Amino acid sequence: MSSTAALSATRGSDDLAAAVAKQARATLEASAIGKHFGGIHALEGVSLQLRAGEVHGLIGPNGSGKTTLLNLLSGFYQPNSGTIRLDGDDLSTATVQYRSRIGLARTFQKPRLLPTLSVLDNAVLGAWPHARAGFLATAFGLPWVAREDRLLRARAVELLHGVGLGHVLGRRANLLSHAEQRFLEIARGLAMRPRFILLDEPAGGLTGHEIERLGNVIRTLRDGGIGVLLVEHHTDFVFRVCDRVTTLNVGRVIKHGTPDDVRNDAEVIRVYLGA
Amino acid sequence: MTADFKTPIAVAVALLLVATLPWWAGDQYQLHLAALICVYWILIAGLNLVVGYTGQLSIGHVGLLAIGAYAFAILAGKMAWHPLAAMAAAGALGGLCGLALGLPSLRLPGFYFAMATMAFALIVGEIVLAQVALTGGGVGLPGPLFPAPFDSPQGFYYLVAALAALTTWLSWNVARRLWGLGLMSIRDNPVAAQAVGVPLFRAKLVVFVFSGITAGVSGAVFSSLQSYITPETFVFELSLFFFVCIIIGGRGSIVGPFLGTVVLTALPELVAPLAKLGNFFYGLLLLVVVLAVPEGIGRMVEMVLARLRPRVVTNEPIEPDLPRLARAIGARA
Repeated sequence: MSSTAALSATRGSDDLAAAVAKQARATLEASAIGKHFGGIHALEGVSLQLRAGEVHGLIGPNGSGKTTLLNLLSGFYQPNSGTIRLDGDDLSTATVQYRSRIGLARTFQKPRLLPTLSVLDNAVLGAWPHARAGFLATAFGLPWVAREDRLLRARAVELLHGVGLGHVLGRRANLLSHAEQRFLEIARGLAMRPRFILLDEPAGGLTGHEIERLGNVIRTLRDGGIGVLLVEHHTDFVFRVCDRVTTLNVGRVIKHGTPDDVRNDAEVIRVYLGA
Repeated sequence: MTADFKTPIAVAVALLLVATLPWWAGDQYQLHLAALICVYWILIAGLNLVVGYTGQLSIGHVGLLAIGAYAFAILAGKMAWHPLAAMAAAGALGGLCGLALGLPSLRLPGFYFAMATMAFALIVGEIVLAQVALTGGGVGLPGPLFPAPFDSPQGFYYLVAALAALTTWLSWNVARRLWGLGLMSIRDNPVAAQAVGVPLFRAKLVVFVFSGITAGVSGAVFSSLQSYITPETFVFELSLFFFVCIIIGGRGSIVGPFLGTVVLTALPELVAPLAKLGNFFYGLLLLVVVLAVPEGIGRMVEMVLARLRPRVVTNEPIEPDLPRLARAIGARA
């Protein structure tokens, strides 16, 4: 009750602070999720809270349901039980496209790019949820469509420079190195102006130097207020960059907490980390 | 970034060539051929967005062409509408039929979609043959002429050239903007397309309806150019011809399919021995292109140009510019 009183006392005097507080509270929340494929229970009673401005690691052995959970959060699967909410908005059965509009972006384990298009074009594609131009306005070349297009392109250029791909803007995506493809997927996701970005094994196949750069990018996103879900096998990397970590094993959460809690948990060590 | 002023120059040169063609074309027959290329291109420019950009393998557009052609012949001939109004109506009907065909079939995966469009083309042929009172059945219908100033071969050429330029402009606008990228994402990686929010079915449907409209308009001017249409005018091979023009030209390009249309229309007519080969020529050319340059002649031109100015591909390490990244994501730090 006292917090409500405090809030009403400051209402009007500081809307900005309220907005910031709301932003800080933004949470993508999966509650008691169950998902089965035929008779196989991929996930059972899994809950996870991804907060804005936080890096949340999701680890576990192969087949523990990490990617299934990511597919449920991003809308490629729908849960058999449980709910997925963003700020109280029930997303459980929402389409992937709807989630992209309200600020959910993701990358893929195997980068999914448009191979014959340039790096810049691939990144600009992520701006789709923010383009107002429909087919007719585009076809008839209305001036505001061209202006909007230039604006979205300029933003994508900034993002690409930001993630370190400024030197290959015009290169065809299929000529990129593996690491460049992964960073390009992140840039495309960021072009969606997400509140949450779900990264599916972004460090897979990267060198130590590249993983370090990836860590810097992820921290920058977090500091910018974006919630990052990091599905990853590189446990060192996860414990280094994450604020909280959830561990899955055969479709259930076995441990959830700070990196130190998880790293020292006997069960996590037994099923996943090894002695 | 030199492309920024290269493109307007190329467009200006192309427009000049098209506009002056009646003066340097050798004879009436070549003018007729140029008009035919324009007529085909009106359809193919729309179909190119469906096949070349969105990757939906429609092989049934001859059905939409026939619908436009018969609508024009019936409205402008039997019912004495003004030909331009009849042409607009043919385009609208083509769009409606595109919608009717696309609604049930565009959810089908590639091969089955192709079969559905083929079935559509065959059904249209049968209906045209059966509805004798309306279409003249096997006897056919005369294709009405357009009124002055479009009644001369030159005037008609300018009409179809203007329509072809218009459809090129419309499809180019779509292709070079975010919409074009969205369409290509449906073609290359539907999962990625979904993830960035592209509404797959709706986008496919919109583009398919657009291609129906251009096919209807193309059909209208086609029936006028042919001066007489029968069910045999709209053989299924014509549908394959449209499709092959795009594949040979290259996917995700407008110039390529246009060159494909010009070459495939003009070559068999201008080089007599090729005409005898008929479909064999198309088949052979398709085989050569698919085997040698699977990305089409458009891409071949690109590759030759790239060869002329070789660039060193260096692999610099990825060095993120974190302050710039923070600004770009609009950090509230």
